[in-house]
Amino acid sequence: MSSITDIVNGKGRFVDDISFPGMVHIAFARSNYSRAKLLYVKGGYTARDFPYFMASAGEGATEEDLSLRAPVLASKFAAYLGEPIAAVTGKNRYEAEDNLDSVEIDYDPLKPILDPVEALNSEPVIPGVKTNIISDRYVGKEFSAGEAEIVLEDRLENRRVATNPLETRGIVAAYDGTKLTVWTPTQSAHSVRDGICESMNLGKESVRVIQTDTGGAFGLKGGVYPEYIVAASLAMKLKVPVKWIETRREHLMASRPGRGVVGNMRIHAMKSGVIKGISGDVIVDAGAYGGASWSSGWIAFQITGPYAIPNAYFHARSVMTNKVEQGPYRGAGRPEASFMMERMIDLLADEIGADPLDIRLLNAAKDKFRSPTGMEIEASAGFMARAFEKMEYRRLARESKPGISCFALIPAVSDGESCRIKVERGRINVWLGGNAHGQRHDLWVAKLLSGKFGVDPSIIELQLGDTDMLKEGVGSWGSRSAIVGANALLKVADKVIAHVKKDKGAYTARALLSGDYDEYEYANEKGMLISFCANLAVADADAAGNVRVSKLKAYYDVGKALVPDVVVSQIKGGAVQGVGQVLSENIEFDQDGQLMAASLSDSGVLNSVQSPDIDVYLEEVPSRFPHGAKGVGESPTIGVPTALVRAIERSAGIRIRKTPVSPEEIVNARSRVK
Amino acid sequence: MKNVKVNIKLNGRKFEREVEPRTLLLDFVREFADLTATHMGCDTSNCGACTVLLDGKPVKSCTVLAVQADDREVRTLEGLGEEPLMKRLKEEFIEKHGLQCGFCTSGMLISSYSLLRKKSDPNEKEIREAISGNICRCTGYHGIVEAVKSVKGETAREKLPESPELVRR
Repeated sequence: MSSITDIVNGKGRFVDDISFPGMVHIAFARSNYSRAKLLYVKGGYTARDFPYFMASAGEGATEEDLSLRAPVLASKFAAYLGEPIAAVTGKNRYEAEDNLDSVEIDYDPLKPILDPVEALNSEPVIPGVKTNIISDRYVGKEFSAGEAEIVLEDRLENRRVATNPLETRGIVAAYDGTKLTVWTPTQSAHSVRDGICESMNLGKESVRVIQTDTGGAFGLKGGVYPEYIVAASLAMKLKVPVKWIETRREHLMASRPGRGVVGNMRIHAMKSGVIKGISGDVIVDAGAYGGASWSSGWIAFQITGPYAIPNAYFHARSVMTNKVEQGPYRGAGRPEASFMMERMIDLLADEIGADPLDIRLLNAAKDKFRSPTGMEIEASAGFMARAFEKMEYRRLARESKPGISCFALIPAVSDGESCRIKVERGRINVWLGGNAHGQRHDLWVAKLLSGKFGVDPSIIELQLGDTDMLKEGVGSWGSRSAIVGANALLKVADKVIAHVKKDKGAYTARALLSGDYDEYEYANEKGMLISFCANLAVADADAAGNVRVSKLKAYYDVGKALVPDVVVSQIKGGAVQGVGQVLSENIEFDQDGQLMAASLSDSGVLNSVQSPDIDVYLEEVPSRFPHGAKGVGESPTIGVPTALVRAIERSAGIRIRKTPVSPEEIVNARSRVK
Repeated sequence: MKNVKVNIKLNGRKFEREVEPRTLLLDFVREFADLTATHMGCDTSNCGACTVLLDGKPVKSCTVLAVQADDREVRTLEGLGEEPLMKRLKEEFIEKHGLQCGFCTSGMLISSYSLLRKKSDPNEKEIREAISGNICRCTGYHGIVEAVKSVKGETAREKLPESPELVRR
């Protein structure tokens, strides 16, 4: 992995920096329509050359229905705008794009189905299936309204958001006659390998995936994509190295965006503010094909969050539409769940005239609590009281109109993680199954390992993901890396120490560094690790509906902060992504299915002038793991949007039901209220 | 269209190449000179990852043709590496967590450097405005602003050696 010094010196090695003699560049001919029959496809490499289907690998991988697998290249039918149909090559990017002129595609455009609610009952968005509903579950336990004195309903929505790392997707692939080597920026080298192997029916030993320096990911780079299968296949077919680098427009059209969820929620409560139950529909805009079936049930599972709500029952469905498949985006279901809960609590607070904090404290778990969906939390009431005291909610509430939020973060700790430590010639190399793409795993690896081994941290080097150097691995996502990665690291370090003791009689740092050791372990983890978090926001909307965020605060239980200033930096960066989701980030289509966001700016990513700072307070209650850490990466994209939406709502005097909320919508909603 | 000859003084060295007229300065720098600090992030001059100095002024090299830089001076991050001001900026970017993934960093450094050369003690608003053409998706900008704030005074006033005068033909 390039060190931080290399990166600031411009010596990072990102995927587009990799070049080989004779390498060809790939460009893709993509569907110009969101839904169309393909009458013919001529020229370039087509589905005939790559008769493969996409495997499900990486974050959110599912045991999917084979009839719902996406083809690598569309041949008879295009199911979303930007779906790859043919590939061409050229000696550079210019020539490859020129060669797209050699591809002829004849379309018979059909009316696209873009709204997931419409898609519930519409004709199928892809041929060969009976329904658009790819996941249909009831989560929780049915209950009767019974004694509830108040029942409030609302329709809530998070529109789709592009992940938009500054480095887009990309791949370099080379084949030496026996082995395919792939270089790609990724959250999980092993998921890319497994996806390629499964799609192309190759043995794991014949594919090596090497992670390049990774220019941000946010969920985008956790799995495998059609373009990667094409690149891998072309490298094998042409026997020259190939490269594909995604353009931003391709990213906005045809890489997996996150969010895209509608909730019809119903909250059942007493006039005192005690919540008796929450129920409703969760509808996920899964896009075309079956890859995103996972998220609706996952959202429903965690809606009750940090609250002791005795009844919960949700109808959770993932529905196909004529858009690119949905994917995980920082938070991946957690922000959507929290949006449903927090919006309904605020609605209830307004209905009964209660303070939003009082009503949260009233419904917080006073003791361990198991939700009707099976989510087990510790008592949350004490945390909430501490959080809002520290963030000075009561004082701020007297002088302004703060919005607040609370949530329970569920990091993706299940499946554990792998680690390898190799001691050789006085240096220590480390590989982790889930590697860094900006989170500075190198710092906690050096800190924990130098403490454990009693050696200087400068001799410890974290390597990038590489499937030939590490047998198996999971990946960096779901706020998991420091939890499961550090756990695996410490377990392998114990193995090394035991080995040194066996060899030399006793462990000393000198004994360690004078020998050669190479240990590996896949440390599996069962059970969840839930932590509590809270946010506060103050904002004003002016007459034109433009929002100024004047205060943002976060109070998060991060467990033991392994490298505190990195934790704070993660929270600050995530907070701005959360603000972006509320104010502007959106991947919108017109009614014909054409993309409205053609550039990075159109898609709503905030610049430095638009981005507020956030005050961060860390609570450090150690977790059950030996390192004591809990999750952090996704917290700000969960808690900031809900608190900020509430602050805007209070300032503007309107009810906000969806993100993003545009200035026009604020102005229009205000004029309706008046 | 016929190839054209361009002659660019790149980081103090002359680079003469026959290029297609459509060749972007970004690709000239990356492909012909193999200087990969300059990144392509968006193709539409929104993100600023491709920022370089053209005759001392920051430009987005994804929307400048190589022929437009003919007979002019271009500096990339690699060519500013030993500048005392740039060195200080880099140290502070590391110290203040002005980067996470690092993909925007070269462009951010160049925009920050340009600001500090014009104004050695900018306030927060001026810093945020100066880097508003550079998108960072990771840090929320806070660490970047703090890094720029902490580099000021004497170092910032130092002259760029062989400081390029604006060469207009």
